[in-house]
Parts: sequence; C-alpha cells; structure tokens
Amino acid sequence: MAARYYDGVTADVQDVTLKVTSHELLINRSEDSALVARWPVAELVVLGDSHHEAVPPLALRGSEARLVVEDPAWRAQLVSLVPALKPLALEPVKVAPRLGTYSLAIVALVGLFWSAIEYGTEYAVPLLPYTLQAKLGETVLDGLLADKETCQGQAGLAAINRLANDLAREAGYRHEVTVHIVEGGPVNAFTLPGSILVFYSDLITQAKDSSQVAGVLAHEIGHVVHDHPIKGVARAYGIDLLFKVLTGGYSDILSTFGTGGGALLAMRNGRAFEREADATGVRLLEQRGLRADGVSTFFEQMIEKEPSDAASAAGIWSSHPPTRERIEATKRPPTGRPAFSAAEWQALRNVCK
Amino acid sequence: MAPTSVPATAPPQGPAAAPGSAWSPDLTPSQPVYDGRLGELYAIYLRHLAMMLVTLGWSRFWGRTRIRRYVWNHLSVLGDRFEYRGRGIELMIGFLLALLLVAAWSGLMYLVWLYVFHEKPFATFGLFDLFSLSVVLIGFPLAYVGHYAGLRYKLSRTRWRGIRCGMAGSAWGYGAIATFLQFANAMTGYLLTPVVSVNLARPRIVNTRVGTQGFTFAGRAGDIYGRYLGYYFLNIVAWIAAAVATFMAIGGTIETLGFSSDDFLKLFAHPSLHTVVVVLLIAFAAYLVFGLLILPLRCWWQAYLLRYLVTHSRADNVLFATAISTWQMWGFLVLNYLIVLLTLGLGWPWVMHRTMKLIAGQLWIYGAPQGSEIRQPTDRGPGYGEGLLDMFDVSGV
Ligand SMILES: [Zn+2]
Repeated sequence: MAARYYDGVTADVQDVTLKVTSHELLINRSEDSALVARWPVAELVVLGDSHHEAVPPLALRGSEARLVVEDPAWRAQLVSLVPALKPLALEPVKVAPRLGTYSLAIVALVGLFWSAIEYGTEYAVPLLPYTLQAKLGETVLDGLLADKETCQGQAGLAAINRLANDLAREAGYRHEVTVHIVEGGPVNAFTLPGSILVFYSDLITQAKDSSQVAGVLAHEIGHVVHDHPIKGVARAYGIDLLFKVLTGGYSDILSTFGTGGGALLAMRNGRAFEREADATGVRLLEQRGLRADGVSTFFEQMIEKEPSDAASAAGIWSSHPPTRERIEATKRPPTGRPAFSAAEWQALRNVCK
Repeated sequence: MAPTSVPATAPPQGPAAAPGSAWSPDLTPSQPVYDGRLGELYAIYLRHLAMMLVTLGWSRFWGRTRIRRYVWNHLSVLGDRFEYRGRGIELMIGFLLALLLVAAWSGLMYLVWLYVFHEKPFATFGLFDLFSLSVVLIGFPLAYVGHYAGLRYKLSRTRWRGIRCGMAGSAWGYGAIATFLQFANAMTGYLLTPVVSVNLARPRIVNTRVGTQGFTFAGRAGDIYGRYLGYYFLNIVAWIAAAVATFMAIGGTIETLGFSSDDFLKLFAHPSLHTVVVVLLIAFAAYLVFGLLILPLRCWWQAYLLRYLVTHSRADNVLFATAISTWQMWGFLVLNYLIVLLTLGLGWPWVMHRTMKLIAGQLWIYGAPQGSEIRQPTDRGPGYGEGLLDMFDVSGV
C-alpha cells in the first residue's frame, strides 16, 4: 500500500509503503525500504472522515506526523484490516437523495418557524415579564422624548389618563396605563410596550369634539390590551432571525435584503393589528355606554383634509388598512354619553398651555 | 494517486528570476488542484442550513467548520492536500467573547449617557443615538481587526504536509493602519487607492507563514499609480455617461407610456403583474448601463491589482503568478454577487465552488519549497477564533 508520509517536524514528503501486522502499522520508505516509523494500531486516529475530507489524514494519537493514502481502494483495504479506521472510507454520499431530504427538511422547518412566529407570539408574549416590557417601553420613550417638549397641564393629563384606565379596565386589563402628550404634530398617537401611550397635541387641538379624541384613545387602548407593541417587536425579531438563518448569515447585503422583506411582513402584521384595535376600541366605548362614532368621524376628517388617502395609496407598503375600509368598519350612531365631561375636555384642550 | 497538476494551458509569463543569482533555480510551474464536487458541497451546506433552523443559528460554528474541512482538503498544492483542523467550539467561544465585548461597550455607553447626557439641558440625543454612533465609530476599525484576527485563526488551523500555517503581526496594528489609510483615502477623493492597496496587502502577505517559512512582498505603490490614474479618470467619464444614458432611458420610457407621476405612485402601491414586469425591465436596463460601463472598468483595475500583488509575492525560492483577466474578475466580483443575491443565499456553495475553481485555474506556482528547510512552528496560534468577524457578519467561510 503506497502512501505519503509527513513527519510533523519538517515539510518533507516521503513516499512510503504500509504494512499492517497484528498490532502495528509499519511505514517503510519506498525507495530503499528503510523503516520510517512503526505506529501501534491501537493508537491510530483518522482526522476527519471521507464525507468531508477528500482524503482524511491518518495520524498517531497526539503526534503531528501524518499519513495520507490517496488511493480509495487502498484506504478500503486498510479499513478491512483495521475496522477502527472506518472514517477513512465511508460509504460514498448519494448526493441526489440527500439534497432532496435536506431540501424537504428545510421547507418543513421554515413552515414550522413561520407558524411559531405567526401564532407563537400570541401565546408566548403574555408570558414575558411585564417589568421587562415596561423597561423596554420606558427606554424607547426616553429616546423619543429627548428633544421634544411634553405638555404638563395637570387637569388635562388627569382627564385623558382617567379615560384610558377606565377603558383598559373595561377590557379586563390589569396594568396601569400612562398617557404622555407631546407638543406639536403630526396628528397622530402611538403605543409603546409597557402600556405607554403617546399623543401629539395637534391631534387634540384639531379634533372637532371630544368623541374623536376618545375614539383614538380607545383605539390605542385596543393596542394595549392585545399586547400589540410587544407582539410587534417579537414578530419583527423572529422574522429577522428567520431571514438571517435562511441566508446562512453569510452576507450583509442579504440581511439588508431580508430586513426589507421583514419590514414588509411587519407591515402586514401591522394592518391586522390596526383592524383588531379599531374593533376593540369601538367595542369598549359601547360597553361603557359612551359615544363611539369618534374613530370613524376622525378618519372622515382626515380623509377630507388629505383626499388621496395615504394608506390606500401606499397599498402593500402601508402599516394601516385603507382609511375608507376603517371608516366603514367603525361607523356608529352619534349616541351615548360623552367620554369626557365638559370640564375635562376644556382642560385637555389646554393641556399644553 | 496524488492529484498532480498537469498544466492544461501554457503558463503565463513567469516572474523573472532574481538577477545576479549564480545558480539557476528550479522554476517548474505547477497549479493548485481543486477536486471538490458541487453536489457534495451542497449536501453539506443544506445540512448546515437545516441545523441552523433547528438551533436558531447556533450551529453555524460547527456548520462552517464542516464546510471548511471539505473545501480545504479538496485543494492541493504540489500534490499535497490542505488540512483544516479548526473546531466549532473554538468559533463559538470567539463569538461569545466578542458578545461580551459588545455588552461591556454597551454598559460603558449607558454610563456615559447616564452621567453626561441624561437630563442635562444640552441633551439633544438619547441612549440609542449615542450607542449607534459609537458602534459606527468603533465598528469600522474593529471590522479590520476582526478580519486580520480571523485570517490568523484560519491559517493557524490549516496544515499543509502536516505543518501548521500561521500569521504573525498584530491585528490591532493592522486595524489602526487600515482605518487611517481608508480615512485618508476617502479624504483625498480616493486618489490614494494604490497606496492603500499595497500597504494593506503587505502586512497580510509578509506575515503569512507555512511553518517557519515566511513570504516576501516586493510591491510598491509607485508601480501601479499610472494604471490607477487611468482607471480613475475613465471611471469619472463612465459615471457621467451612465447617468446620462439612464436618465434618457427612464425619461423616454415614462414619456412613451404616457405616465404622470400620480399614476406612478398608484402603480407602485398596487403592483400588477404588468407593473412588476415594467419595473423589472427598467431596473434591468439601468443595471445593464451600469454593468456595461462601470463594473467592467472596476474589474479591469481589480484584475490588474491582483496580478500585481500575486507576481510580487514569493516564499523563498517559490514564485507566484496569475494571468487572471478582466472577464474572470467580473465573474468573481459581479457574477458571484448576483448569484448569491438572486438565489437569496442558496447559491453560496456554487459561488464557493466557482471561486476554488478560479484559484486552481489561475494561480501558477514556480518551483517547489525545500521541504526539509521548513519546520513545524513552535506557537499554536490563538485558542479561539473569529469572534469579531462573526459579529460584523463579514466572514463568509
Ligand atoms: Zn393603531
């Protein structure tokens, strides 16, 4: 059996022949049959295996010397003499069936992963310690408010926080909700993890009446009681992870690409969340016997101001459903008690003064 | 049977022997041989992907190691195969250490924010701004440090004829030089590129070791400045031409189809198959203009630079050469990029295979080392690997 021998001390190559006795591997130089080394069979190790290495080197345990047997027939013969050297000549890989199996496994795993993100967050997120969510929300809030003026009118803040917590309790929500009001625009409001609501004062000053503010507030409470903010974070993280793993984590460009796809999916989740928040908000107002037409009239007012309907124009790129669709879904008669007392509403309108 | 290299084509003009040497050195040409098969590599890669999904990515250290074992051992030089002896656990430890480093840095930034910026009248930015700014600032130099350290790890786990390879020099020193040179280059409108290329190639070449055998590099930036200036100005001309051509093409398309900008927005938001096709055609046309003018020019320069770097490197009496062409460089830089991108990463093994084939086909080695002169090195290299590299996600295999 011919082989190449590296002594592990220098980069010299020696062509050698091998002979296996009952307990030793004899290595002789090919040209003059001089004995180069005798390796005890019990201490032979194969470095790697023939599925990965083209020719797995043979070594003496703990030594840096190497034997390389290029000829597969001779390697097979060596294995038949010393079965412990099996990794030298494994059954060759049948490539096509293996590729098929792994492809199927990958498709199945992606499906599994996907459903875990889609449905798992629904059940897993409420298990997340609430203090952690609150901490996250506060950190984000700190960053957001760093260069903004907040409104500090005591009575106004008390009014909006009172209604927010009434509505949250109506939904059986157990945590305290906090509403912050930021001076200026845009006409918008949003919810952070940890039951933190942020309203822009423009939304309050441009509202036709208190029912519109109450409608938007109820919508945001809808987000709060369904844990939407933290679910959104969890889903975005899960989708990001899936993309990273699928692309092998091999390329920046790809993960950027993946992030784009991930953002699109997050938007899709966003639209489902908005519909749920709309429905819950209106339901909570109705349950408390309050006027519930504020959401739809608020949207109508928005659409009058901006007839092209940004959400509809943005289509699949929008995080919100088309406004007309939301108006239809939330349309209610203008009946019921006002959500804010006259004094509360007055205070809320002056919250920034 | 050893995979000996039978030159299929005539070797390129070899580097001239050092003048004044009295004896005529052995300059027998040979080429590396890569005998890996694409199907086998894919089988290993897909197994790796499946494991990644099961372990949420934590198996990547072991997966990468398996891929390296395959690629290294299917490449041989002078009939002797490379051997990769790295272990997945070493990569994971490196990753965890880098993670610790980032955590420590985050903590430091938090303290800075808390005591310097938080609730101060002049505070105009939050914790996140501070953290991302600091990551950009340290991330750039650290990427170079990580690159060098990763190279050192890979070489220290590589053996040829049973002899460990290695990399001397300081990764932090390399990071400092690289950061400084890249910064200076950007400040001077990229007119320093030859200086940067040569001075970043040198430490990597001269610090590479095969056992006790080092490499030397005789390149000088002055040699390649002429070609670079030619490339520099042609590049400017090509950009202008490409911009003009693209504007004319897009303007023409919109006009002939009679779109207003409003229609455009609508189409963008609610893409029909028709729109998607039109957008793809426009993107393809823009790519074509860009690809036809700019990228080949860039490949022309890159191929020239690589030929220069290779032919000016040597290991004692062993010389190197390559005749890599602009077209082959295009296949390496542009086509490989497109393959990975268009297959969402699944084409990666194919790109690896193509790259190994390119190395085997285009690198020429003149002469053979005197094996008995090269000894096993005494140091064993770093105990763990590639943490920073993994962190910045630029490592490939
Ligand atoms: Zn909402």
